[in-house]
Amino acid sequence: MAINLKPVDVAVIGLGAAGGVAVLPLARAGLKVAGLEAGTWMDPHSFKPDELHNNVRGLLTSVPKANREVPTVRNGPSGQTRRGNIHPMMNAIGGTSIHYWAQSWRLKAWDFKTRSEAVKRYGPNSIPKGSTLEDWPLTYDDLEPYYDLIEHEVGVSGKAGNIQGKIDPLGNVYEAPRQREYPMPPLRGSGFTDHMAEVAKQLGWKPYRPPAAINSQEYQGRPGCAYHGYCSRGGCHISAKNSTAVTTIPAALKTKNLTIFDHAHITRIVAGGDGRVTGVTYLKDGKEYFQPAKVVLLASYTYENSRLLLLSQSKAYPKGLANNHGQVGRHYFGHWQGGVAALFPFDINIWYGTPAQAAAVDEWADDNYDHSGLGFIGGTTLQPHTEMHPIEAASMSSFGQAPGWGSRWKAFVRENAARWVSAYMQTSTFPYEDIYLDLDPEVRDPLGDPVCRVTTAAKENESRASDFAQKKMEEWFRAAGAIQVIRGGGGAPGVSTHAYGGTRMGDNPDTNVVDRWGFAHEAPNLGILGASVMGTSGARNPTETAQALAWRTADHLAKSWKSIAG
Amino acid sequence: MHQDGKEAPSVSRRSLIAGAALVPVAALSSAAQSAGPPATKAAKSVFSEAERKTLEAFIDRLVPKDELGPGAVECGAANYIDQALGGALADEKESFLQGLASVDAFARSAHGASLAELTPDQQDAVLTAMDRGSATGFANARAVFARIRRLTLEGMFSDPYYGGNQNFRGWDLIRYPGPRVAVSPEEQKIKVEIKPYRRSALGANHGHQS
Repeated sequence: MAINLKPVDVAVIGLGAAGGVAVLPLARAGLKVAGLEAGTWMDPHSFKPDELHNNVRGLLTSVPKANREVPTVRNGPSGQTRRGNIHPMMNAIGGTSIHYWAQSWRLKAWDFKTRSEAVKRYGPNSIPKGSTLEDWPLTYDDLEPYYDLIEHEVGVSGKAGNIQGKIDPLGNVYEAPRQREYPMPPLRGSGFTDHMAEVAKQLGWKPYRPPAAINSQEYQGRPGCAYHGYCSRGGCHISAKNSTAVTTIPAALKTKNLTIFDHAHITRIVAGGDGRVTGVTYLKDGKEYFQPAKVVLLASYTYENSRLLLLSQSKAYPKGLANNHGQVGRHYFGHWQGGVAALFPFDINIWYGTPAQAAAVDEWADDNYDHSGLGFIGGTTLQPHTEMHPIEAASMSSFGQAPGWGSRWKAFVRENAARWVSAYMQTSTFPYEDIYLDLDPEVRDPLGDPVCRVTTAAKENESRASDFAQKKMEEWFRAAGAIQVIRGGGGAPGVSTHAYGGTRMGDNPDTNVVDRWGFAHEAPNLGILGASVMGTSGARNPTETAQALAWRTADHLAKSWKSIAG
Repeated sequence: MHQDGKEAPSVSRRSLIAGAALVPVAALSSAAQSAGPPATKAAKSVFSEAERKTLEAFIDRLVPKDELGPGAVECGAANYIDQALGGALADEKESFLQGLASVDAFARSAHGASLAELTPDQQDAVLTAMDRGSATGFANARAVFARIRRLTLEGMFSDPYYGGNQNFRGWDLIRYPGPRVAVSPEEQKIKVEIKPYRRSALGANHGHQS
């Protein structure tokens, strides 16, 4: 029998990038919040410049829960099921905002209204075949105040390109209008990224330094970035990366309205016969607990959000919680991320820095150029960046110049390991009928529950968009002096660090799990946070949008407490 | 995927101060640390003498010592693999040893002796056949080749704390300038010589300057 705990107003499942943000407006509104987190606090001093630990073995986590629940992947329903060794997410208070790249973007207005905008500009046939794309139930303008809150409460460095319609060529001139400047200037450039920016200008493009939730200078009592080069899958040893563990969660704790229950391994969300959720069960130190709550906010990662709903079956929800319309797991997609690698005839010194220290170009992103006759909608951000590690560097392609081992390989790597780079490229990705999440019928986690299964497929729209952008990236690299360029990557994404959907947000309950405020159509006191509610990806990292949506959902909950909590 | 016992002591407060003039004092107070548990070292080798010889012969052909400097053996990659299979990668120890046995079995059937006994040209022929998947009777040769190659790279280029990259020979080979706790704009320039910082970020001296 589960041990019953004292009821709370709101139980938040997962204190990562999204849940870790939502607790702050809730606690400030005076609601009693239980923050349930599978992991625990991590000491910034345990964060090491150690490629083997962080990047190769994927061990930066406070508990190995996610790594025991890595989803399986198959290409289409008849494809071979495969499984990676390392989950892209970690478990800790602060979650993966501890080891993410901290690229912190707003989506474009177009991303919220892609279907209607594409039909208007290119006709109904421009919508990719088989896509379940819908307009979001909210606009960029609806989310703008929450983007602004996140940028200032969490702390984002950047340069505005459009303040209330006034264009500043030092920032991203293609961005949607914002109400004010970022709270911190952008991260500095490196020799390499400055060189790439200079060349982009010569091509007639408008490069900018992309925004990041990393302090470029002291902010809220924490120092500016040390650019030491172990940011990717590494925690920040000086807390200059603005994970929720050092920003919104400590701020929420100060209100005394947030209580954190760590090492709480959530097993089910419980619903009553009336369809309302009543709380959650979790395991801690081998004992089972039940945490009653008036409202539950589900804020684990995209895969676990869908999995936990599908596992939480009850009389009211025989196919899984909030899944009587069969939409849980649907409209899922992983971000298309192609790559272009380039070899230079000189050392480019990208060892240090951080991936957000980059020269970014938006000319070929979103709907910033005319797609007539191209056969695809959407676009790609081009982003050569810093941070390279030694094992990664030596694992380079031989660019067709050397064998894979022996003296000739050694001579090649000796000369070139310090001379190659791979650009980061993110392509607008859309949901499709035949790409979805469900429970794996065979593979189970250590508790005996099925893991999440990804059914994926290659798509012509995204493939063409990615190819188009890779040619642009090649042009940029060659203009910058690259002597060899390899275009590649892309293809149907598997388990992704940018996983969207599964609990999509929309007004129509036949095609969406949550309403425009993030609450389940079927279970009105269950809110869902994270990129799992997003119906399009944009051509940029999801976290700031997931955080703005989380804040908005929490804000709505506090303002509508009586009607939602019942 | 249990990580207890593999947690290495981290960059020390002292090294943070020594290396990071730009870091405000406020950041350092939160960075005070205890030394942490020492990393678990393999108490004894996972390899028999013969297995070690086979492995060293293999990685010596993968990355040979030559006029450009030390190879995988001189970098200590075999030590790294030994320690990893005795600890973090214990789950794959059996399959790895089976792979080494298969290498020798193939070497014997194709060239009449175990890998370590063959001439360098014969050894290269063994590796080539494995790499191309044309090693008769050795079904998973490509996977074994790829895994040994991968672990050899890890052993050459990871922090020396893990038993490889001895005397920073791997990092010297590719001009990796070393982990620093803070990096200046000058240290991120291009076409400028950066003085390598040759300290482990982990382990007994915690990255201290000795």
